[in-house]
Amino acid sequence: MDKRLQQLRAADRLSAPLVIQALLPTFVPLHGDRVLGDAPALTAGFGRTSTDQAITVLGIDRGSDTTSRRQKNGGALTVPGYRTALRVVDHAEKFGMPVVSLLNMPGADASPASEAHGQSQAIADLIAAMGQLTVPNIVVFLGEGHSGGALAFANANRLIMLDDALFNVASPEAVAAILHGQQTVSDAIDLLPMTAAELHQRGLVDRVLAHQQPDLIAALIQQLQLLLQPLQTMTPTDLIAQREAKFQQFLAQWPLN
Amino acid sequence: MSHYPTAGRWTTCSTCGRHVHASQWGQWRQCPYCHTWQRLTAAQRLAQLVDADSFKPLPMPERPQNQLDFPGYSEKLTRATQSSGLTEAVVIGTATLDSWPAVMVVMDSHFMMGTLNTAVARRIIQALKVGEQRHLPVIIVTSSGGARMQEGLYALVGMNLILAAVARLAAVPVPLITVLTDPTMGGVSASFAFKGDVVLAETGATIGFAGPRVIQQTQPHPLPADFQSAANLYAAGAVDAVIDRPQLRARLVTILASYGYREGVQHG
Repeated sequence: MDKRLQQLRAADRLSAPLVIQALLPTFVPLHGDRVLGDAPALTAGFGRTSTDQAITVLGIDRGSDTTSRRQKNGGALTVPGYRTALRVVDHAEKFGMPVVSLLNMPGADASPASEAHGQSQAIADLIAAMGQLTVPNIVVFLGEGHSGGALAFANANRLIMLDDALFNVASPEAVAAILHGQQTVSDAIDLLPMTAAELHQRGLVDRVLAHQQPDLIAALIQQLQLLLQPLQTMTPTDLIAQREAKFQQFLAQWPLN
Repeated sequence: MSHYPTAGRWTTCSTCGRHVHASQWGQWRQCPYCHTWQRLTAAQRLAQLVDADSFKPLPMPERPQNQLDFPGYSEKLTRATQSSGLTEAVVIGTATLDSWPAVMVVMDSHFMMGTLNTAVARRIIQALKVGEQRHLPVIIVTSSGGARMQEGLYALVGMNLILAAVARLAAVPVPLITVLTDPTMGGVSASFAFKGDVVLAETGATIGFAGPRVIQQTQPHPLPADFQSAANLYAAGAVDAVIDRPQLRARLVTILASYGYREGVQHG
């Protein structure tokens, strides 16, 4: 496997549950979508930071050993995961808490069960809900996040990426596949702008954090607080407008002719 | 484009493989042997749905380009433009259906499998804006393999930007009617396809998120023949109705008449 991908998919990669533990000394997990079930890859809930700020979190991780990886479906969220996230962001709006999403997930789950449970509608509903959120939201790419599943969490006011993280329309493997083996998966990473540096330069990503630094979690928490501060004085209407304008500006880089 | 009708009187049915004479397809483009409805071009679809001579295209200035220099994409765009006669994978305009006005958005799978890219997204957003401003119901006929990978994240953000435009249409409120035709997959399925106030599916359409070949690779047993079929989605409660092609126009007219939105009358 490509070295960069290996690093992102490694068992000792910084995971969402670890960040949540450090970010929220008091944490209340919210579990399940109340209809279908639960997606173990999702850690969701709310709590208070050490600086007395209430925050809602949505973390997705791949699991760190064979057992947890199987249980978490390798980070490929199933439909109850999107539905649970929807329930949790509703709750965040009700209590005026900002939403922080922490991602390391492959593309969508390819299975008959996800299709039967309405994966398309679940993703569409979460993308739409995140866009219309009346509280601030921030996404952090701890590792990979691809396709509509990642976009559902990335439809946010601010985007943070670790310097070796990836965000793309599809996984590097899927990009290589449409080229019928003419390019390797490693080449595919460089064919489209999906690295933190590329996306920062193109204005979509607001902050890039070095993944190799003495206290990465503390640095990440500090960035989150810095980015949240100005967002918290914005009105719901402005938050919705800023989110759309952010992605419009990105799309506008593709010239008309 | 494998399923694009090529020159000549005989074409091959893309479902059963039988040779079908031009006169046998009939006005609904149905195979006389296996009775499958063939995928329509946007022009054929519009001709079946809207009042004669009522379709007025909205401005569609954007032409596709290979901004990221993705290998082979420029050639694909040139081929798609030449074989389809279209400038992109969607056509937008206003029209009437039995004199009921509507904004029409018709995707065309003959242009790079109807994939959602920067130009397609801009056109759909433009159409939704016209519906919002003129209080005209919007009808979207989907036919797409999903987001166009060759345009990377620029294609993906079309999904959330279209959904933002859908939210503004809903806030007026102006009705959105979606018609899911073969195929409706990936990023189109997971954004606006199911966001209609009324969601119709055409009989026989394959509708889903992940492609059947990708899902099959994860499964030990063959997938059922009706996997991701319109009928299955109806049984699961995912769509409001499955409609045979010859009845689609009449159903849309009934829906428009039931909402009762007329041009120039403010609603909501």
